[in-house]
Amino acid sequence: MIISEMLASAIRMSIPILLVALGAIYAERSGVVNIGLEGMMMIGAFWGALGAYYYGPFIGIIFAMFAGLVFALIHAIVCVTFKVNQIVSGVAINILAYGVSRFLSIIIFKMATTSPPVEGFKDLNIPLLDKINVLKPLVTHISPLIVIAIILVPLTSFVLRRTVFGLRLKSVGENPLAADTLGINVFKMKYYGVLISGILAGLAGSYLSIEHTGMYVEGMTQGKGFIGLAAMIIGNWNPLGAFLASILFGFAEALSMRVVENGIIPYQFIKMIPYVLTLIVLSGFITKSTPPAADGEPYEGSEG
Amino acid sequence: MKKDLKIRLLEVFSPIFAFIIAVLLSSLIILAINKNPIEVFYTMFKFSFRRIDSIAIILYNATPLIFSGLAVSIGFRVGLFNIGVEGQYLIGAFCAALVGFAIKGLPSFIHLPLVILSAILGGMLWAIIPIYLKVKKGVHEVISTIMLNYISLSLIHYFIADLFLDRNQKVVLGLGSTLIRMPKIMPSALMPKMHGFLSLFGINLPNHVYLNWFFPIAIILSCVIYYVIWYTPFGYELRAVGFNPIASKVAGINPNSLYIKGFLLSGAVAGLVGLSDLLGYFGYMDLDFPKGYGFTGIAVALMGKNNPFGIILAAILFGFLNRGAEGIQTFLGVPMDTVVILQALVILSVVVVSEVMIRYIRYLDKKGAKI
Amino acid sequence: MEKIIKLTNITKKFPGLVANDNINLEIEKGEIHAIVGENGAGKSTLMKILSGLYQPDSGEIYIKGKKVIIRNPRHAIKLGIGMVHQHFMLVSRFTILDNIILGSEKSKAGLIDYELAEKEVTDLLKRYNFELDIHEEVGSLSVGQQQRVEILKVLYRGADILVLDEPTAVLAPQEVKELFINLRKLKEQGKTILFISHKLDEVLEIADTITVLRKGRLIKTLKRNEVKDKSELAELMVGRPVILKYSKEDIKRGKPLIEVKELIVKNESDRRVLNGVSFSVYAGEIYGIAGIEGNGQKELVDSLMGLLSKESGEILLNNVDIKNLNVNEIKRIGVGFISEDRHKEGLVLPMTVWENSVLGYHRDREFGLWYRLNVNRIIEHCDNIIKNFDVRLSSMFIPIKGLSGGNQQKIILGRELIRNPKIIIASQPTRGLDIGASEFVHQLLIKARDEGCAILLISADLEEILALSDRIGVIYNGEIVAEFESKEATPDEIGYYMTGGKRKVEV
Repeated sequence: MIISEMLASAIRMSIPILLVALGAIYAERSGVVNIGLEGMMMIGAFWGALGAYYYGPFIGIIFAMFAGLVFALIHAIVCVTFKVNQIVSGVAINILAYGVSRFLSIIIFKMATTSPPVEGFKDLNIPLLDKINVLKPLVTHISPLIVIAIILVPLTSFVLRRTVFGLRLKSVGENPLAADTLGINVFKMKYYGVLISGILAGLAGSYLSIEHTGMYVEGMTQGKGFIGLAAMIIGNWNPLGAFLASILFGFAEALSMRVVENGIIPYQFIKMIPYVLTLIVLSGFITKSTPPAADGEPYEGSEG
Repeated sequence: MKKDLKIRLLEVFSPIFAFIIAVLLSSLIILAINKNPIEVFYTMFKFSFRRIDSIAIILYNATPLIFSGLAVSIGFRVGLFNIGVEGQYLIGAFCAALVGFAIKGLPSFIHLPLVILSAILGGMLWAIIPIYLKVKKGVHEVISTIMLNYISLSLIHYFIADLFLDRNQKVVLGLGSTLIRMPKIMPSALMPKMHGFLSLFGINLPNHVYLNWFFPIAIILSCVIYYVIWYTPFGYELRAVGFNPIASKVAGINPNSLYIKGFLLSGAVAGLVGLSDLLGYFGYMDLDFPKGYGFTGIAVALMGKNNPFGIILAAILFGFLNRGAEGIQTFLGVPMDTVVILQALVILSVVVVSEVMIRYIRYLDKKGAKI
Repeated sequence: MEKIIKLTNITKKFPGLVANDNINLEIEKGEIHAIVGENGAGKSTLMKILSGLYQPDSGEIYIKGKKVIIRNPRHAIKLGIGMVHQHFMLVSRFTILDNIILGSEKSKAGLIDYELAEKEVTDLLKRYNFELDIHEEVGSLSVGQQQRVEILKVLYRGADILVLDEPTAVLAPQEVKELFINLRKLKEQGKTILFISHKLDEVLEIADTITVLRKGRLIKTLKRNEVKDKSELAELMVGRPVILKYSKEDIKRGKPLIEVKELIVKNESDRRVLNGVSFSVYAGEIYGIAGIEGNGQKELVDSLMGLLSKESGEILLNNVDIKNLNVNEIKRIGVGFISEDRHKEGLVLPMTVWENSVLGYHRDREFGLWYRLNVNRIIEHCDNIIKNFDVRLSSMFIPIKGLSGGNQQKIILGRELIRNPKIIIASQPTRGLDIGASEFVHQLLIKARDEGCAILLISADLEEILALSDRIGVIYNGEIVAEFESKEATPDEIGYYMTGGKRKVEV
């Protein structure tokens, strides 16, 4: 019972990280590093709450995904078209998102750091399984976003492996020159990769504000955007791996909540766990991981 | 020669040009909330330059940004991105606060330098981890420093609110509860304000201005860093590695060695960022200790083109903006965060303009093919 | 027989260089046509024009009788021309199948029709007798197999004309045999093959017709049966050099200052790029290593400079075993180094001219102390270099990328030679330089030699080697295959060894 409760908790905690990680996969497979996912998540959290406050959760997530898309567009224009250093752009996007969220929050909600409570989605239950006591925590009170997020895992895998879009996207991140000589529009593919990552990051943020906490709180993303990137790296840039890595992080967080209740270790150290874990795992994994070959390199384009 | 002059001019003016673009974009956002951008910037201006005390406040605001910009720029020079200045300065400030309150009975001329040294060491300590991970394990310094930034927040929180919480605070009757802060720093470790010195020149600053000697220290440090970068073999190697690690290797320079030294130097300077506020204003470290200097430092370094004197100017600019931001919130009801947005837009437009410029120069080169 | 390709008056210029100079060429359908020439002869450029990567400055192209402008690689493929690059354009992590269909996927509603793709590719494999497992990852294939995938790529897209750029450059002898079997099969099926190479043995084995290019011009086109032997081709390729004779003092050969014994160096794929190289260079002589680029020269030079570790063998510089020495320590023995790629390895372009003039020597006592560069002294030093090495520039305070290639090279030469090193290693020292600058460099090297320096000269320009060297070693496939006294050497003979001629019986 406790195990399934923990597992359920872990899955809940992992969803925002998972969504970001999946989005990051699209971007990085197309060869663009997106450090700005944290900011896109933040802005998604805000706009999600905003939309949900006025129009309900469904419009909320639409707003959130659109907000993420807009910020991703900025990143794409700056990095793909202007070929600026992708990390600098990402950092700037994070600062921009922080500023814009606070700015709009003051204007609209009259408070910089929180929004009023917002309505979330109606919970789902999985019909037959919810009769089994042991499984109960896992299959009841599930947010539809959790279902969407989990479905996105095999969906992403499918897109990457079996669609024309997926094959071309990957080729652009591995060997853009080869893709270019075969007639693939490298810039277009990179744009797609980045935009999709923004949409998913925005969605991740909206999950936090609408479903998880029930309101927007400044700083609620708490670095999950970066942890999502780490999950992608640990998952070796593929969806299933990212899923497992996200569960790992979710588990760590769920566990830390339990430990906090116990009160033995100061809660500040518990809060550090995801970040320390990220460092440790990255240090161990980097030498074994294989990013897309042309990741992070702006593409110059061939001679006319 | 004409072409080279053209290039030089472009290099100096492009940050200004980029700044103007950022201002224009911000104006659009201001318009979107039905406020008049011209009024906004005018108010900023007026608010900042009305009296001499405003100028002093701007310089006070600029001081941490100079240190931060310098720290970030050192990283950029050697080809690395030190986003960890944010965490490095908090750890540095903490170390300073610790040595500041814990050691009693030292004369000022020993205690203050000791405290400053602690801050430097604290910053370096927080920088060793990411550069070690990069050189030995290949972990990108951006992700590791970002993680360490978050870790430092929690760690500092623990130190301030738990381990080193000042439980002996004297509560002034009727003035509310105790603050969550570390014990007050010994007076021997505090940095005096510049008021006494300036009054010699007939400049009398009111008490609510905290311009202190860290400002001149920042200026001096800028000169020192300028000297190191351009006039020492170390600075030479730093720049060479930052521009072309391969040629450096062929020339007998060890890139990894420079990466480590450069990053540690960056961390050392980062440690100083919080000291002006800590030792010149607060006198103790609490949970509300200013955050965000690390990120503004990135904007300052980029705008200042990694040149210490450009950084001073950019820092003053942002100091001015931060001061003006208070004004527009108070008088016009425009959120202070407009300045944060402006900052981010400055970063973006500076790098975009820079890239466009590089391509334009390349185009000029191709047109006039050299023999 | 029908002419499937006709090129008339094709000219292509780059800044400072005429890559193709009025080329008139006809290719017959169904033949294997070899294009041979040295580095810089213009072969690659011509093929890039045919495959749509470059546009000619003037001239016309006729494919299958129709005049065309080949706009880009995609267009070239539509016309039936498929280029197989020397450096493969493959995605290592993809399977063979994915690499072949990429960009031309057969699909239904966005989903790749793998069933159809598999069938089509397997058919292709059968037809041309390629033995490959289409589900294998390209990264794990041998070089020969990867090349076959590149060929399949163009066949899949319906190419009738295959252009292969130095296809055997990276192949082992057995793989070359296999490639030729495949090529003959393709010819049987009616394909036309253009084959760029500098390896004359192979060309004579496979080609029906041979065209020789030299310095951008088409020298001659011959049918295979018109060629008596290899040396005839080598002579056409290499030409009779205009007598580039420099007056040199009689050689006063001293001690051996460079000694290389049985040097073996492997690359990342564990292939031997240097296979037991042995030679010596004595004080007061210029030893030139002739060879087409890519036969191990770079690895040799990097090993000598301490930048590359060896598998086995010995290197002695001025009688010092350089086994565990780093670059600085080697330089201190008295070695000056001119690397082949000045932009990548010799200079830091964004830094100023005067700063570059001490690159690698910036920590010398002469130029300052650990806490202070003696900028005045460095500027003096740079000024010295500028005067003595005839550097033309507007100011030494501008970034060195603002200087022409020739002047940049002079700064490098000045930097290395002004310290009077006992040993000079010069790799492609006149690459990209005009005649005047080249001559200047040559005079400098001769002067150093006359003063007792041991100079190792590596160059792909045979004229340069012949003009400067006292002794010549020819490198081919990672081995010194022949050595000559320069008085005895003829361009034909050297060309013969450069292009894979079998070693004479050891004396």
